[in-house]
Amino acid sequence: MGSDEEDFVFHGTPIEREEEIASRKKKAVAGASGNLRTLPAWKQEVTDEEGRRRFHGAFTGGYSAGYYNTVGSKEGWAPQSFTSSRKNRAGARKQSISDFLDEDEKADMEGKSLSASSQFDTFGFTAAEHSRKQAEKEQHERPSAIPGPVPDELVAPVSESIGVKLLLKMGWRRGHSIKDVRASSDARREARKAFLAFSTDENTKETPDSLVSETEAETSLGPQFSEDIKISESTPVYVLNPKQDLHGLGYDPFKHAPEFREKKRSRLSANKEVGFRKPLSMKESLFGPKSGKIAPGFGIGALEELDVEDEDVYAGYDFDQTYVIEDEQPARPSNDNRLRLTSKKDDVLPGFGAAKNSDYSMERFNPPKIPKDFVARHKFSGPLEAETKPTVSAPPEVLPPADNNLKLLIEGFATFVSRCGKLYEDLSREKNQSNQLFDFLREGNGHDYYARKLWEEQQKRKDQSKLTLDVKLSPTVQKMTAETRGSLLGEKPLQRSLKETDTSASSGGSFQFPTNLSDTFTKSASSQEAADAVKPFKDDPAKQERFEQFLKEKYKGGLRTTDSNRVNSMSESARAQERLDFEAAAEAIEKGKAYKEVRRATEQPIDFLAGGLQFTSGGTEQINDTGVVDMKSSKTYPKREEFQWRPSPLLCKRFDLPDPFMGKLPPAPRARNKMDSLIFLPDTVKATRQVSESQEPKKETSIEEPEVEVEVENVERPVDLYKAIFSDDSEDDEDQPINGKIQEGQEKKNEAAATTLNRLIAGDFLESLGKELGFEVPSDVPYQEGIKPMEEERKSRSKPEDSSDKRLDRSGLKEKVEEKTSSLTLGSEEEKSRKKREKSPRKRSGGNDLSSGESSGDERRRKRSNKKDRHRYKDSESDSSSDYHNRDKEGSRSRRKRREEKRSSHKKHSKHHRTKKSSSSRYSSDEEQKESRREKKRRRD
Amino acid sequence: MSAAAELPTKEAHILKGHEGAVLAARFNGDGNYALTCGKDRTIRLWNPHRGILIKTYKSHGREVRDVHVTSDNAKFCSCGGDRQVYYWDVSTGRVIRKFRGHDGEVNAVKFNDSSSVVVSAGFDRSLRVWDCRSHSVEPVQIIDTFLDTVMSVVLTKTEIIGGSVDGTVRTFDMRIGREISDNLGQPVNCISISNDGNCVLAGCLDSTLRLLDRTTGELLQVYKGHISKSFKTDCCLTNSDAHVIGGSEDGLVFFWDLVDAKVVSKFRAHDLVVTSVSYHPKEDCMLTSSVDGTVRVWKK
Repeated sequence: MGSDEEDFVFHGTPIEREEEIASRKKKAVAGASGNLRTLPAWKQEVTDEEGRRRFHGAFTGGYSAGYYNTVGSKEGWAPQSFTSSRKNRAGARKQSISDFLDEDEKADMEGKSLSASSQFDTFGFTAAEHSRKQAEKEQHERPSAIPGPVPDELVAPVSESIGVKLLLKMGWRRGHSIKDVRASSDARREARKAFLAFSTDENTKETPDSLVSETEAETSLGPQFSEDIKISESTPVYVLNPKQDLHGLGYDPFKHAPEFREKKRSRLSANKEVGFRKPLSMKESLFGPKSGKIAPGFGIGALEELDVEDEDVYAGYDFDQTYVIEDEQPARPSNDNRLRLTSKKDDVLPGFGAAKNSDYSMERFNPPKIPKDFVARHKFSGPLEAETKPTVSAPPEVLPPADNNLKLLIEGFATFVSRCGKLYEDLSREKNQSNQLFDFLREGNGHDYYARKLWEEQQKRKDQSKLTLDVKLSPTVQKMTAETRGSLLGEKPLQRSLKETDTSASSGGSFQFPTNLSDTFTKSASSQEAADAVKPFKDDPAKQERFEQFLKEKYKGGLRTTDSNRVNSMSESARAQERLDFEAAAEAIEKGKAYKEVRRATEQPIDFLAGGLQFTSGGTEQINDTGVVDMKSSKTYPKREEFQWRPSPLLCKRFDLPDPFMGKLPPAPRARNKMDSLIFLPDTVKATRQVSESQEPKKETSIEEPEVEVEVENVERPVDLYKAIFSDDSEDDEDQPINGKIQEGQEKKNEAAATTLNRLIAGDFLESLGKELGFEVPSDVPYQEGIKPMEEERKSRSKPEDSSDKRLDRSGLKEKVEEKTSSLTLGSEEEKSRKKREKSPRKRSGGNDLSSGESSGDERRRKRSNKKDRHRYKDSESDSSSDYHNRDKEGSRSRRKRREEKRSSHKKHSKHHRTKKSSSSRYSSDEEQKESRREKKRRRD
Repeated sequence: MSAAAELPTKEAHILKGHEGAVLAARFNGDGNYALTCGKDRTIRLWNPHRGILIKTYKSHGREVRDVHVTSDNAKFCSCGGDRQVYYWDVSTGRVIRKFRGHDGEVNAVKFNDSSSVVVSAGFDRSLRVWDCRSHSVEPVQIIDTFLDTVMSVVLTKTEIIGGSVDGTVRTFDMRIGREISDNLGQPVNCISISNDGNCVLAGCLDSTLRLLDRTTGELLQVYKGHISKSFKTDCCLTNSDAHVIGGSEDGLVFFWDLVDAKVVSKFRAHDLVVTSVSYHPKEDCMLTSSVDGTVRVWKK
């Protein structure tokens, strides 16, 4: 056909069929890959060597790629190795990369597997393997005369390691030791030297034993060389030199200064000769062992050529030791230690000599001489023994005086005296000199009866004390109630439903207190029950326990707990104070009327521990009780109560209000029982207690106390302090009530400080008295009128003070103390006068206020806050721990509460004068604020 | 009867749509719209002045007991028997947030002034404050000093006031952190605050409305005549604080004079229990809702 076509003549362009063109084009494209490059990038195709298209578009892959581009199977990624693990556990197959490769990729992978190339195959394992394989292959290809596989031994590795090659190039020959080479070839002396240095450096780091031999061998290089040859005869020398320095791997400190290496080596050998003794150097002589390494950090460059003659220039610096900061041989440290020890032996620093004569001579004090009759056990010269002795002879029995009241008084007093000691009698005699009622103390009416009664009581007490002392039982055990047992075991006493009926049982006789003391088992039951139920100190179990104990004894006439309680950390005066409080509280409990007030007074802080549970838990309980009654009459509704409520900060934020509790302690979770509230006592408060208690021993310096208190204040309430300092600058409407409150708080604080002072003085006396008596009892006649217990406490405290003035003439001291403290507590003078002003109305109202229990809320509230202040400051004066509250309570929480109290009283104040319409001015009675601010400013000035 | 003439006693519209009892009817802030909710689990938005149903919101799983609109009319909240408080978007009708936490039915909800929180009163004796600003669905605060179901809640700028079946109206003042509890001795069904903010009107279940002075807790007035013993019926004051309005369980609506507690007017608004009354903030217009399923708009 070709030849035929040549004969034709063609005109024009032939019309070609499209299919042909397309196929031809395709072919052309496929054939000439060179053309591909001319195509635009998006038309180019990548094919593998079999012409398969390698890459597909993301969306065409499924159509055109088939499964060539995937796993290579229809199943795709179905794991080949899947086997039910239940049936066939062991058969878990591991997939390898080859499972996922194409043939061509596998071919690529071939020979790229990781193995040591023959060049670096030092030990020839791979090479051996390889050669064996090769041999096998060859054997297959051309069968040799010997049938079977060639034994391994016959096929040796052909290749040499690079190290061997290097050695060979350096002139080493097989079968010779390396040192041999060095020795023989003079031409490479320098290289040899370096090499030698290298090897010896490593050798030096060997264990001392080998070190000795090696270094010696090295240093005396020449003569011992022949030995060396003998030693290292066999070619493959495995140098065993464990790394012993602290340099990085491969770091050679002497890399650029081989001279020093030599130097060091020589020194080392020298060391060895001395027997690991370093040559004396400055190191030891002056600067101590460490400084040597630091000092020569400078100027070392100048010392490159350090020779023997140079050494003295630098006063024997041990330079090659110090040049490079390197650790010495492991044997060294112990050496050093020994050196140090020996140098220290004669207590002279190196470089110093011991002085011949010293001014200082140790003064020795001989231990105090113990008197021969000293018994190593402290016996309290308590009133018990002291008092019981003189009244050995029983006074004759006398008929009780006709006046029943007097009889009761005498009996009670006798019990008291017998318990408290003679001192008490003297005291009260002195005090009641003008009191007709106490004539029996002074040979008057009923003195005989008194004497007899006293004797009886003392006898009774003696017996009891003997009994208890013998059995060594604390009086608590005498009658073990569930309550006491629980408290012994540290259990939390259950909060009983506080029914007033309990107290009513005990409140039968108003003059019960001294009269019932004598009969131990008849009446005490009810009163004790009452005492159990009524817990004025329930926030402090320990104190409550003591109180219960106190009551028990009080009604039982048993041994004083003070004897058993002495063990605890309370100071004498603190205990005396507490005793006072106990007496007062007990009295209050007995009086059913007074009961409410006591509880209220004592329990307010508890509410705060309860975390804003309610305003006053005790109070509300009572109110609720009465509320039930009132429900029937239904006339008193609506009834208003107020509680503390703490809005969450976020809530205040959302309402665009300042958080009234900002900076206060976070609210404690609502306490379900008293235990909870106990748990949440802040630690700081406890710390305070410790502080104050630790202060107690040095009570004489009573001036310190306010300082301590202030300090504690700062620790606990930084925010309020800041507020107190800065808040009057802020004129916000919202802040103003707070300011006023703080202001008021300041006043209170100062006032309380003044009170503290008085108490301190009183406490000072009490302390001395308490040491004699063991405790203090209210020196007044048992409370006849319904005086508020706090009032009583105050009175009783001030009374000993008075008497102290009389007896001990301590007024001068008192003044002095006052002076000092006035300088400490700011503005205390002013405050004192204010206090006086405030005090007097309170006293006036005190009597009937309680009994009526219906004084204006305003009044009561103020009183309460006052009381609170006192509590707080009592905390500081560690000698007067006695309170209805224990100190723990006096934490910031109570403080917070007090704040609110004040605020509420504030509010109440204003409320009274408010009409219905003026409720908008409810929270800011302007006058008050202004007043308070002015006052504050004044104080600041 | 001149006073009665000023009162909205004429029926302007009947808003029908709820299937079953309507439990609450509330005007929005400016009184142009009204939201009602009921036992059919829906909340309906009306134009009460034209009597048109605008939108129905469905998402509650149980009856809807109360609803309240924000002051900007953008959101509203609702609560009901499904123990949840729903926070809605008015225009889209979507629930923005559901506040879960009440352990019982939720009786009442209110926004605060800035619509940043919702306060809900629940059968679980608690008031819960929910935050609308953050994404937290935890209550900002739980007030659980109530001794019984909290029936009603009212907010002022600084206070949360709740009325409870325990007979107390408790005011929680955020400025001073105090809770003031006014014990009325009778279960409080509904509380509403006077427009001057000085008084609280408490509807008690002894068929009495009591007006309390908020500052002193004094009982200012007692309003009687209606029946309110077992249903949650609403009471409110007129926008002028001149009259007290209370729904009765016999379908009547009572108007008392605020000061002398006379029944100024009473009329039959519904056949069945009047569950809710709501007074227009400016005009003399009143909404009443009833168990009969209707909401009526009353005008002068």
